[in-house]
Amino acid sequence: MNGPLIVQSDKTLLLEVDHERADDCRRAIAPFAELERAPEHIHTYRVTPLGLWNARAAGHDAEQVVDALVQYSRYPVPHALLVDIAETMDRYGRLTLSKHPAHGLVLTTTDRPVLEEVLKSKRITPLVGARIDPDTVVVHPSERGQIKQVLLKLGWPAEDLAGYVDGEAHPIELHEDGWTLRPYQKQAVENFWHGGSGVVVLPCGAGKTLVGAGSMAQAKSTTLILVTNTVSARQWKHELVKRTSLSEDEIGEYSGTRKEIRPVTIATYQVLTTKRKGVYPHLELFDSRDWGLIVYDEVHLLPAPVFKFTADLQARRRLGLTATLVREDGRESDVFSLIGPKRFDAPWKEIEAQGYIAPADCVEVRVNLTDSERLAYATAETEEKYRFCSTTATKRKVTEAIVRRFAGQQILVIGQYIDQLDELGEHLNAPVIKGETSNAQREKLFDAFREGEINVLVVSKVANFSIDLPEATVAVQVSGTFGSRQEEAQRLGRVLRPKADGHQAHFYSVVARDTIDQDFAAHRQRFLAEQGYAYRIMDADELLTES
Amino acid sequence: MSSDEKPAAAPRSLAEALRARDDASLTALLRSRPDLITPVPTDLTQLATRAATRASVVRALERLDRFALQTAEALAVAGDPATYGELLGLMAGDAGDPAVAAALPRSLATLREQALAWGDDDRLRLVRTARELLAPSPQHPSPTGLGPTVQEATAGMSPGRIQEIVTTAGLPSTHDSVSAVASLTALFTDRERMAALLAEVPDDSLGVLERLVWGPPYGQVTADPAPRLRLLLDRGLLLPTAPGTVVLPREVALHLRAGRAHRAPEPLPPAVEATATHRPQMVDATAAGQAYTALATVEELLRDWDEGGPNVLRAGGLSVRDLKRTAVALDVSEPVAAFWVELAYAAGLLASDGEADERYGATPAYDEWLERPPAERWAQLAQAWLTATRTPGLVGGRDAKDHTLSALGPGLDRSAAPEVRHRVLTLLAGLPEGSAPSTESVLARLRWERPLRGPQRDQEHDLRAQLAQWTLSEAEQLGVTGRGALSVHGRALLGAPPAPPAPGQEAAARGTSAQEEPGQEAAPAGRGGPGDKLPVHRHHRSAAATGGEQADGLQGPGPLAAREPLSPAEQATATAAAARLLAPLLPEPLDHVLLQADLTAVAPGPLRRPLAEMLGVLADVESKGGATVYRFSPGSVRRALDAGRTAADLHAFLAEHSRTPVPQPLAYLIDDVARRHGHLRVGAASAYVRCDDDALLNEILADKRSAALRLRRLAPTVLATQADPATLLEGLRAMGYAPAAESAEGDVLITRADSYRTPPRTAPEPVPDGPPTPDATLLSAAIRAIRAGDLASTTPRKPTAAPVAVGELPRTGPAETLATVQAAVLTGEALWIGYVNAEGAASQRVIAPIRVEGGFVTAYDHTADEVRTYPLHRITGVAELADEES
Repeated sequence: MNGPLIVQSDKTLLLEVDHERADDCRRAIAPFAELERAPEHIHTYRVTPLGLWNARAAGHDAEQVVDALVQYSRYPVPHALLVDIAETMDRYGRLTLSKHPAHGLVLTTTDRPVLEEVLKSKRITPLVGARIDPDTVVVHPSERGQIKQVLLKLGWPAEDLAGYVDGEAHPIELHEDGWTLRPYQKQAVENFWHGGSGVVVLPCGAGKTLVGAGSMAQAKSTTLILVTNTVSARQWKHELVKRTSLSEDEIGEYSGTRKEIRPVTIATYQVLTTKRKGVYPHLELFDSRDWGLIVYDEVHLLPAPVFKFTADLQARRRLGLTATLVREDGRESDVFSLIGPKRFDAPWKEIEAQGYIAPADCVEVRVNLTDSERLAYATAETEEKYRFCSTTATKRKVTEAIVRRFAGQQILVIGQYIDQLDELGEHLNAPVIKGETSNAQREKLFDAFREGEINVLVVSKVANFSIDLPEATVAVQVSGTFGSRQEEAQRLGRVLRPKADGHQAHFYSVVARDTIDQDFAAHRQRFLAEQGYAYRIMDADELLTES
Repeated sequence: MSSDEKPAAAPRSLAEALRARDDASLTALLRSRPDLITPVPTDLTQLATRAATRASVVRALERLDRFALQTAEALAVAGDPATYGELLGLMAGDAGDPAVAAALPRSLATLREQALAWGDDDRLRLVRTARELLAPSPQHPSPTGLGPTVQEATAGMSPGRIQEIVTTAGLPSTHDSVSAVASLTALFTDRERMAALLAEVPDDSLGVLERLVWGPPYGQVTADPAPRLRLLLDRGLLLPTAPGTVVLPREVALHLRAGRAHRAPEPLPPAVEATATHRPQMVDATAAGQAYTALATVEELLRDWDEGGPNVLRAGGLSVRDLKRTAVALDVSEPVAAFWVELAYAAGLLASDGEADERYGATPAYDEWLERPPAERWAQLAQAWLTATRTPGLVGGRDAKDHTLSALGPGLDRSAAPEVRHRVLTLLAGLPEGSAPSTESVLARLRWERPLRGPQRDQEHDLRAQLAQWTLSEAEQLGVTGRGALSVHGRALLGAPPAPPAPGQEAAARGTSAQEEPGQEAAPAGRGGPGDKLPVHRHHRSAAATGGEQADGLQGPGPLAAREPLSPAEQATATAAAARLLAPLLPEPLDHVLLQADLTAVAPGPLRRPLAEMLGVLADVESKGGATVYRFSPGSVRRALDAGRTAADLHAFLAEHSRTPVPQPLAYLIDDVARRHGHLRVGAASAYVRCDDDALLNEILADKRSAALRLRRLAPTVLATQADPATLLEGLRAMGYAPAAESAEGDVLITRADSYRTPPRTAPEPVPDGPPTPDATLLSAAIRAIRAGDLASTTPRKPTAAPVAVGELPRTGPAETLATVQAAVLTGEALWIGYVNAEGAASQRVIAPIRVEGGFVTAYDHTADEVRTYPLHRITGVAELADEES
C-alpha cells in the first residue's frame, strides 16, 4: 500500500508524479480519468461517468478500472466508490443503436427492464417507432442524434453501431516529404478510424491539425472542417496545402468574408451560428455536399447551436480535436453523445518527454503605479480602468529592461493599445505592426524577423492573430485582454517553440500591481500552473536592479 | 440430566411439566422469555399461567426460527396429545427426510425449553394458546395450508348426510354420527384404503383436489355443483363449510401430501454465501480507512455546528433544509448525512441545548472525545452505533400518522435494531476472514431465524429486512466492515473470537457437527424412545461449563459469537479490544504537505492536528478523502494574518512542513497580502476629544488626572478613549476644561464567536422492546423465589377446616383465580364466582368462561342468562361447582 495514487471522496485522483510507479499508474488511469491539473508535484485527474463510459467505449471493463485504482492507490479505496464505478460502467452498452436489415435504425437492449425504463420516458417516446420484439424498437433515422443525447441524460448511454455513409469520394494523400506523422499522431488516426467517430485529445502544440489531415487521408472523401475563427481557418488551409496532396483550389473557406464550397471546406463556428430573422442561413452548408467526414476543431469551444446541427449528422464520420474535454459550459455529455467517445488521449508528459513540446518559462512582472496614477485609477470609470492600469509608464521601463537582457535573441512585444505600442517602438527602436500596417509591409517585417535581421518586433493584437506570426524565443506582453485562458495558452504555445539550439523560450507578462490587470493575471497564472508551465512573479524593481 | 431425574408420572399440566424441570432448564426458559419474570411469579403455577397468556405466547412464537415454528405449526395440526412419531410423520412425510429427522429433536427441544410444548414423546402437547394461534381456522389460515379435520368440518352436519357420505365412501353405516365421523377419519388416515378410494375418483375430480392440496384449502362452489365436485362432496373428500364454500379436510390433504404438513420443511438455516473474498489485510485496511473517514466526518460535522448548530424543530429533530445543508457541507447524500448526525447523537457528542430558542450543538463530551486517541474515538462511535435503537435509515420516511420522520427527531427508535445489527454482524463473523456475503443470503438467513407470521408479515418483514440492509451499509460507512467483509476490529467489537477459522477448518467443523446430530438422535432411539425429553438441558449445561455464553445449536458451524447482544460490561471489554486492534491499522498522521505552483497544497494523508488546524486557516479545503487538497488565495492568507500570524510565521510554517521548496508564486502571494494587511487600521473607541490646538491636547495628556480616562493620541488633533462620552466629559470638566459633547457615532462592536456547547447531556438510552435479558444472578434468584413459592403453595396441608359458608363470596388468590378460570375455558365447565361491581356491590354469579384475555373474562353468565365480560381483578374468588351442577 504505497502507491502513487490517492483516491479522493469527490472522485478526483491525485497522482504523485515523482513516485517511481507514477508512469505506470498514469497509463493505467488515463483511459477513464480526465487530467484536470498538472502542476509540478501532484496531478489531479477526475473520474466522471463520461470518462468511465469513454473507457467502456474503448473496450475497458469495470474490473480493469477497479484494479487500476486498487493497485496504485496509496490508501484503501472506499468500497462505495468502487461499487459506484462498476455500476456506472455497467450502464454503457445495455442499449445499442444498430441497422436492422428490414426495419432500418433500431435500438436493441441486452437488459429488457432498461429498455422498458427508457421507453417510459416522455422524451424518448417521440423519437421511437414500433416495437419489433421485446428487446428491439425502431428509431426514426432522423432522431439518431437526439435519442443518443436523451439516453445519455437518462443515464443509459447507447452504443452507436449503426455505421456511416461513405460520402462523396475525393482523393487525399499525405505528402510526407521531409516529415512524417509522429507515432502518437498515427496512433490517434488509427484509433479514430477504427472507432468510427470520436474525439482525439492532444495537448496544445502536439499537432492536432496533422491528425485531422491524417484522418482525411484515410477517409479519402469530401470533408467539412469546422474551426473557431478565420485565422484558424487559414492556418488549416495552409497546413493542408503543405502537408497533403490537396491544392489551394480544392480547399474552400466558408467564413464571414468568403463563401466557397469545395471538396474540402473549412467553415468557422461564427458563420454557422449567425442567425438572421430567427434562422441559421448557413445551415445548408451541411447539406451542400455529401460529406464523408466532418472535423470539429477545438471541440471544447463548440458552440451550442453546432451541437444541434451535429445531431442530424449522425450518419457521417465525425472527428473532434481538442486539448481538453473539460468544457466551461459543462456540455461534455453532448460531445460524448453527438461527436463520440474519446478515441485517443496522449499523456502530456509522454509527448513532452519525446521532445515535441516544451513549456516556456513564464514570468509575471509586477509594476507599481505612481501615486498620481493610482488616484486616476481609483477615480476612473469602470470601462477605462483597464486601459489606465495596463498602459502605465513604468511598464515601458520594464519592457526596455527585458529587451536589454535578452539582447540578440528574437523578441516579440505584444500589446493591445496602439499609443502604448507606438511609444514602445520608439523607445526600443523597433518596427511596429498594427492594424493599419499593409500586408506587404507585414510580410517584409516578418521575413526580416525570421531571418534575424530584426531582433525586436512590436506587434498589436491584430498581428497576434496573424497565422504567419514568426516564432520567437522571448515574448513580452504589455497589455491585452484574454477571452479564453485556453486560447491564450495555445497562442503562447504557438509563438514559443523550444529552439533546436536548446534556448529556452521566455514569456514575460508585465502587469500593474493591485489593479484588475493583476486579477486577469491571476487567472492566467492558475491556468498556466495547472498546465504545467512553470511561472514566477517578480517585482519590477527587482528586475530593474538586476539589469 | 439423565432419565432417572424424570418424575415417575407423566406431567398432567404445563405447571407440572415445569415443576419437573431442573434449574438450568428453567434458567434457559426465563432467559429466552424474560417477560415471564417481570414481575417474578410467586410459584410455578403462576409461571405456567403466565407462560400461557396470549401476549407472552405470541412474543415467544415470534422469536422462533423457521423450523421450530414449522414444528409448532405441525404440532398444532396434529392430534392433542400427539406422539413423536406422529409429529415426525407430519414434518418428514411418509417417505421420511433424514435432514428433518435430524433437526426435529432440536426444534422440539426448543419448543419445550420455551414452554410452548410439553409432555413426553408419546404425549406431546402444544400449549393451548399456541395451539389456538397456530391451528387452522377460517379466519386465520395456517401457514401449513391445511384445513379443519373431518370431525371439525362435519360438526354442524345433519346425521343423515353424514351417514350418506359414509355409505358412499364405501363404509358400513353406523348408528350415530360420532362413530360415523370416526370411521370416516380412520378411512382417510389409512393410506392404503384411501389410495383405493381415490383410485375410483376420475382425474378431473382429482385435479380439483390437487388445486386445494397445498392450500388455501377452501374453494367456492355453485348451488348446483358440477358432477366432478358432486362426486367429491358425496365421498366426503370435500366438505361444505358454508353455503357456496367447501373445504378439503385435513386428513385428505395430508394423504395427498404424503403426510407432510409443510410443502417445504426447512430444517437447516440457509447458508450465508460469500460473493467475494478479499485479502484480510485489504479488508482491514479498507475498513480502517473508512473508520478514519468516519472520525473525520463526525469532527467536520461538529466543527460545522461549532458556533451553534441548526434550530430544533418544534416537534423535535432537524429540519429537512438543515439536513440538506449539512449533507452539502459534508459532501455526502442526505441519508448518509442523517446517519452521521444520528451517530454523533447516539454517541452523546451532540444534543439540543434545551434553551428557549432550542438549537443543536456539541456536548462537553465532544471535547473529551476529541482528546482521545483515534482508535478509541472510533470504538466509542462504533459501540454507540451497535447498541442504539435509533434508526437513521428511517429518516425521511413517514410514521403511522403520516408525519415525516426527521433526523434527531422522535419516532426513530426501533427496538429490534440492536439485535438485528448484532445478528447481521455475527453472521458476517461466521464467514471465513475476508469474505463478503451477498445481501440476499443474509436476508434469507435472517428470515429463517425469525420468520414472520400472520398479518404483520408485510410491514414487519420490511422493517427487519430494512434494518439488516441498513446495518450492512452503515457498517461499511463506519468501517466495521471493509469491502463488505467484517474487519478484524469489527469482529472484536462483536466480542467474537479474534481468529476465525480458515475455510478448511470450517469445513471440518461442519463435518463434525453433521456427524454429531444423527448420533444424538440414534442413541435415544436405541433406548427405545425417539428423542430425549429435554435434550436442551444437557446442551446448556455443557455450554455453561465451557464458555458461559449461550452457544445455541442454531449457530451451526463457524465461530460462535454471542447470539444475543452483549451486556454493557461485556460490550465495554469488546469495544476496548476493537480499539486496540484498530489502532495500528489507522494511517499515521503526517507532518508534511506538498506545495505547488498553482497555489495548492496537497496533504498526501491525514495530517497532525495542529498542522491541519493551521492549514485550515491558511488555505481553503478543496478536496477531501485519503488526501486533502488545500488552495491558497489572498482571502485565505488574509484570514491567517487576521488570526495573528505574521508573514514570517507563515513562511516558516510552510518551509517547515513542505517536502518540496515553497513555490515562488506562493511566497510572493503571502508577502503581497501581508504588504497590504494592516495598512488600514480599524479599532473601537467609545469617545474622542478633538481640538485644533495641539498644545492643549498635549496639556491634557500630560495631566496626571487624565490617566484614569486612558486617552490615546490617534492624530495630532485627536485623542480617543475607551471611556464613554459621559465619563470623558465629566473627567475633563473636573480637570477644569469646558468640553462640548459631539454626537457620538461609529461605535464598532467586535465580538468573537465562541464555541457553542449545550449543557451537559447524556446520550439517549436505547429503548429495548420488553424487559432486558436477565443476568445469571437475577435468574437464579428468581428461580429460588419461584421454587420457594411453589413449595409453599403445593405442600399438602390439611383441608381448610371451615368450608365456605353458605352465602359468603368465594375467596381465592389472583393466580388461582386465573388458573381456575383458564382451566374452565378449556373444560367448558361453569364456575361460581364472587364479583364486585363498579359501585362496590358484591354479588355471586355462575358463569361459563369462554375466553380469558387481557385481564378480562368473557363468559356466559348463567345468572343473567347472557354473555358478559368481567374484569379479572373484580373477581374476588372462584369455586368449581359441585359435580351434580355441571
